[in-house]
This record gives sequence, C-alpha cells and structure tokens, in this order.
Amino acid sequence: MPRSLLKPLLILPGLFIPGLVMATDVQTGVDAEAQLPYWELRNREMSLRLVQRLPDQSRAFFQARGFSSEHADLIARSCVFQTVFKNTSNLTTPSPLEYHLHDWTVHYKGTQRKMKVREDWKQEWQKRGLPMAAQLAFEWALYPTEQVYQPGDYNWGMSVFNLEPGSVFDLEVVWQQSGKQHTATIKGVECAADVTLAPRGSE
Amino acid sequence: MRLVSRNFFLGLLLLLSLDSPALATDKQTLPTLATPFAAVDFELDGEDGRTYRLSDYRGQVVLINFWATWCPPCRYEMPSLERLWQQVKGKGVVILAINVGEDEDTIFEFMGQYPMTFPLPMDQDGKVIKAYPVMGLPTSYIISPQGQVTHRAVGSREWDDAGLIEQLMSMRK
Repeated sequence: MPRSLLKPLLILPGLFIPGLVMATDVQTGVDAEAQLPYWELRNREMSLRLVQRLPDQSRAFFQARGFSSEHADLIARSCVFQTVFKNTSNLTTPSPLEYHLHDWTVHYKGTQRKMKVREDWKQEWQKRGLPMAAQLAFEWALYPTEQVYQPGDYNWGMSVFNLEPGSVFDLEVVWQQSGKQHTATIKGVECAADVTLAPRGSE
Repeated sequence: MRLVSRNFFLGLLLLLSLDSPALATDKQTLPTLATPFAAVDFELDGEDGRTYRLSDYRGQVVLINFWATWCPPCRYEMPSLERLWQQVKGKGVVILAINVGEDEDTIFEFMGQYPMTFPLPMDQDGKVIKAYPVMGLPTSYIISPQGQVTHRAVGSREWDDAGLIEQLMSMRK
C-alpha cells in the first residue's frame, strides 16, 4: 500500500496517545559523520542536535580563514558544538518554529549563564581589530542568534557555550511551535577536551 | 485479541517510523513568505569573470542561493542544484548561487569536487547577503518575474525534487 494511503490510517491510534506522539526525548550517541559524541533533543515536530567539536578542529577552521593562532585559540577553548536545529513538522502538523538563543540557559556548577552569540563576538572582534574577511567568515559560521523555521527548514552552525574544554553542563532550550512555548533540558552535555597529541618520537 | 493487539503495535511502530524527523525532512518544502518584498538589486562579479546584475533577469523566476564552500548543508545541495539547472536552464528559471566571503581560487577548487555550471556571483564583502534577511547558510529565495521575493528555503533542499521543479516552473509568467 502506498505510504500516502497508509499514513492517515496509522495516525488514528496516535491521536489517542498524545503524550506518546508529542514526547520530547533526549538521545545521545556518536554522530555518524563527525565520529564525535552528540546530544539530541527531538519530537515529531523538531530536532536539535549538538555535536562535539574538537578544539583542534576549530583552530584549523578559523586559522584557514584569516584568524591568528591567538584568536583561533580563543574560540577553540570556548566549548564549541556543531548545532543542527530542524523544523520537522512538514509530515505531521506543519507549524513554524521560532527560537532566540537569549532564551536558552546554560547550567554549569550551580550557576546560570547565557551563550556567547554572534553579536557578543562581533564586539569582541571589532575591539581586537580582526580583518573584515575573518569577521565575515566567523559571523556566518556561527549558529544564528534567532530564527524562524518554516516546515522543512533547518540551520547548521557552530554554537559557543563559553566554558573551559572538558566542562559538563545542562542546556535549557526554549522554542515556540504550534502556538506554544516549549522548554526542555539536555543534561550532561560535555565540551570536548583540548587534547593535542605530541608528535611521534618527541618523548 | 492477541492478533489485534500485535497489529496495533506494529501499526504504531510503523507510524512512529514514518514520522521520524529523519524521514520528515525527506519531504521537500519551499515555503511561501507571509509578506513578499521587493528584491534588492545587486551587481556582483562572478567566479567566471562575468558581471551578474539581478535586474538583468527581470521577467524570469530567479532562485538566489547564499552559500559558502565550508558550509556542509551548502555542499549537500549543490549536486541537486546542478541537476535542477540542467532541467530548467533556458526555460524561464535562473539560478544565481551567491558565494559569501570567499574568492575565485577557493570556489574554483571547490568546483573540482562539485561541478556547477550555473552562475556563481561572489559577495566577497558580504554586502548583498546583508541586504536580504538571511540568518544562516544556506538560504535560498525565489524571486518572481515581477521582482518580488515570494518564497524562502532555509537549509539544504533536494532541488531536483519533482514537486519543487513543478512549483518553480509554475511561477513563470
């Protein structure tokens, strides 16, 4: 039977189990592409995946785009995650999804803090006199501070949590969808450790 | 009763798998803007040495795509943009894939891995992307033959999806 005919029949039992259908889960594992740990928040309407980025990956990326080693190191040691946020409501009940990173909270060792977003970095780079081309690359590589996703839309970018390498934190995520504000917490997110292997034969 | 119960749970499992986010993203969408706006004209040098001016394409459907070589979802959609181009070029639909912040050498090297034959204007100082309400890469806009921005896609798409091609072709005059 074609999927288009099958799906409406199968949705019926789901209507009677709304808690199950709309549950937001957190999954962890190893990202198949990056081969690094990920933390993912998902339900039938959205998914948010944070994939660890090694400090050396960030150093290499930014040094190749005009950053000095000092500036690249500043980013690399600020706890960077590859972030993918999707509005997946296009097969369920299409509904725009909206978020603002200022609404998200990082819980770390009993303190609450905000993420370091594009606008914070922009001020910092201007103060430090970073070349414009490098500022441009940084701006577009970073995860958008706010966004509205229509069904099927998504972004992919780096988010910075401004914590030391190896730190473990909880992230409280807030978004609006289907006329409601949603809040969920991803617990035990680990910033990648800053491990640089010594060249062979150097010991 | 056991059979009914087994079928119910099998159906439920199938329902959940059909509605998994991974599959949900398989349905290609090209959302309409709630408030269309007039496209901001621009003139940019292309990777091929030509100059590209948006207003030269008035009367055709224009897909402008903001991208960069280092952006993974931009890379994902490039092959399907090329396949789309092969199907629509000369038929009233134009693709202008605007590279953000990179130079000819970087784009040329990238084209070795991702062959692209559609125009690649270069927004090296980021002025054009700032003139559009772009928050992240890739973002694509559809401009009507009358010069109105009517649709937006954030994130990659399978641009040669039959539904998307039909949608684009139907926007022609």
